[in-house]
Amino acid sequence: MTCLMMDYEFKMKTQTERVKVEDLFDYEGCKVGRGTYGHVYKGRRKDGSDSKDYALKQIEGTGLSMSACREIALLRELKHNNVINLIRVFLSHNDRKVWLLFDFAEHDLWHIIKFHRAAKASKKPVMVPKGMVKSLLYQILDGIHYLHSNWVLHRDLKPANILVMGEGPERGRVKIADMGFARLFNAPLKPLADLDPVVVTFWYRAPELLLGARHYTKAIDIWAIGCIFAELLTSEPIFHCRQEDIKTSNPYHHDQLDRIFNVMGFPHEKDWEDIKKMPEHPTLLKDFKKANYVNCSLIKYMDRHKIKPDSKAFHLLQKLLLMDPNKRITSEQAMQDPYFAEDPLPTQDVFAGCPIPYPKREFLTDDDQDEKSDTKRQNQQQQQQQQQTQQQQQQPSQQQQSNQQDSHNSAKRVRLSGPQGHPGQVNQQQIPISQQQEFHQQQMMYNNGSQQQQQNFQQRF
Amino acid sequence: MAGNFWQSSHYQQWLLDKQDLIRERQHDLAILPEDEYQKIFIFFSSVIQTLGEQLKLRQQVIATATVYFKRFYARNSLKCIDPLLLAPTCIFLASKVEEFGVISNTRLITTCQTVIKNKFGYAYTQEFPYRTNHILECEFYLLENLDCCLIVYQPYRPLLQLVQDMGHEEQLLTLAWRIVNDSLRTDLSLLYPPYQIAIGCLQIACVILQKDQKGWFAELNVDIEKIQEIARYIINLFELWKTYDEKKEIQGLLAKMPKPKPAPQR
Repeated sequence: MTCLMMDYEFKMKTQTERVKVEDLFDYEGCKVGRGTYGHVYKGRRKDGSDSKDYALKQIEGTGLSMSACREIALLRELKHNNVINLIRVFLSHNDRKVWLLFDFAEHDLWHIIKFHRAAKASKKPVMVPKGMVKSLLYQILDGIHYLHSNWVLHRDLKPANILVMGEGPERGRVKIADMGFARLFNAPLKPLADLDPVVVTFWYRAPELLLGARHYTKAIDIWAIGCIFAELLTSEPIFHCRQEDIKTSNPYHHDQLDRIFNVMGFPHEKDWEDIKKMPEHPTLLKDFKKANYVNCSLIKYMDRHKIKPDSKAFHLLQKLLLMDPNKRITSEQAMQDPYFAEDPLPTQDVFAGCPIPYPKREFLTDDDQDEKSDTKRQNQQQQQQQQQTQQQQQQPSQQQQSNQQDSHNSAKRVRLSGPQGHPGQVNQQQIPISQQQEFHQQQMMYNNGSQQQQQNFQQRF
Repeated sequence: MAGNFWQSSHYQQWLLDKQDLIRERQHDLAILPEDEYQKIFIFFSSVIQTLGEQLKLRQQVIATATVYFKRFYARNSLKCIDPLLLAPTCIFLASKVEEFGVISNTRLITTCQTVIKNKFGYAYTQEFPYRTNHILECEFYLLENLDCCLIVYQPYRPLLQLVQDMGHEEQLLTLAWRIVNDSLRTDLSLLYPPYQIAIGCLQIACVILQKDQKGWFAELNVDIEKIQEIARYIINLFELWKTYDEKKEIQGLLAKMPKPKPAPQR
């Protein structure tokens, strides 16, 4: 008896029903991202049933790796306004490629922060609403709180993984993406050794990870959010560190710890009692001298970057960046922080209806895999920025219209199943039009130049 | 993911109606009467369980694999894919989803070969016929037919909580846990939410151990009728086992089972 594994009729029936990604979408030559995860394309529906942009992610390698399985399994269940929404999965049987379909997010914090740094360096003004950083942080916390309450840890939070939606019904909404699905819970550092060293960054890694913590925790994600918050406030990665020899599979990373202590000061035992229990604690004692960091503190660091130690933003930052993971604030507590109750209130559209100053994603060519065309891009960005500034000055009425449209358009979400939206969402408040205009006319006219330096932090970004 | 069951694909898409299930199985039930159909699924549940134990998988992974298997055939005839191929494919996929780690292809195939030969020789006289490429192809079909719903909630976690609440008792937990394992041989995982299955299994365990916990059960905020239905499924399974000799009957049942058909000859 020879076994026939699959029924012919069944096979034919599934083949006919199966939709191919290339039949449904136009995406050729539209690559917008390339990383260890695979390739991301910007696509449009071929049948024109809608004119939205979509992100098509072709997962690296063939077949269903464990990370692909985890990604599909979890994203299939997760539904939150601030978490990337998996619309559909395509399995290409011929080349055994796996494709994931998402809504397209025009921006991400990596590009946004980079844009601000470039503008700062060339002393060009960037106009964004006063509460943008606050809105971004609030939505990041909201998304992470949802993940954490579902016991999903992100494990790889960094600006590049925080997406922001461009024009459209979800304008200015944060989407958390690229969870570290493949990382084994009990061996957090192992898979990193296999990754492309360029992509791995230690800047957002919590001190306990660098000291050999064996488990990922919610507190590790919170530290990364603290780093991102600081970076949004200052446009500089707070724990910036040279990134050589990063291929090591050893979690202990001397230079990165040195950088953290240079900003934060060396941890006192009374502040972090369990530091003694960290696997790399002996190495720490051997390699570091407390005396070298006596003059370092987060207060001083942020003060140098014009963030006042008595501001609510600073107080919250300090709670996110506590060295002792047990004392670090939770996402839930952070969302209750007075910072978010203080004017300006966080908005659903982080751009609060104002024009978006950031350039759209560029297409990558195959030999231009990573972001190398920086100079070219900067020029383009500046041009675009100038154009937008002009536009903005000329056409306030048009913006007002689009604002109104935004507030009337409740976010439409396509989903495989399940209820729409998220009832638990707190930050429903829309900025009233009058207030937006005020931003637009007054605070928006912020100049990054020196004469404005006494202004408070929100305007700096 | 220990998220909200009520918002899960498990609850929203994969709790089926008894009548639907019967309708979907019409084709197979025209060839096999219901008790024979169930015996075939009891057999393949054992195959999955034994494979999983041999591969040292946690019971959670084995249970998830079993639910994948049952979900596939809840929507498809037994003839669509040979269950002897789908069983290890479910194990393979579940081990990745449950973050157990990827089982190497060769280890999976070798384990299938030894398990079929040593433990299920009474059912299959020939050796395990499939190779890695078959499993990988089958895996894509499985994922499609599951509609990418891979997170499965199991009764084990609620069971632990219930037993703890009752006043932890090792003997009771062990027995109830085994009854939950047994429940994988029924349609329960397709029909009832896992916490209800846990309560049903716990109730039977209490009856077997002659523990009077009526007061405790009465205080649970749960649809007692559903619990009785679940208990009935389990008792029916125990009744079936009393008179069923798998070693004698299974070859005949497998021979009778609807099989994949090749492309029509021209």
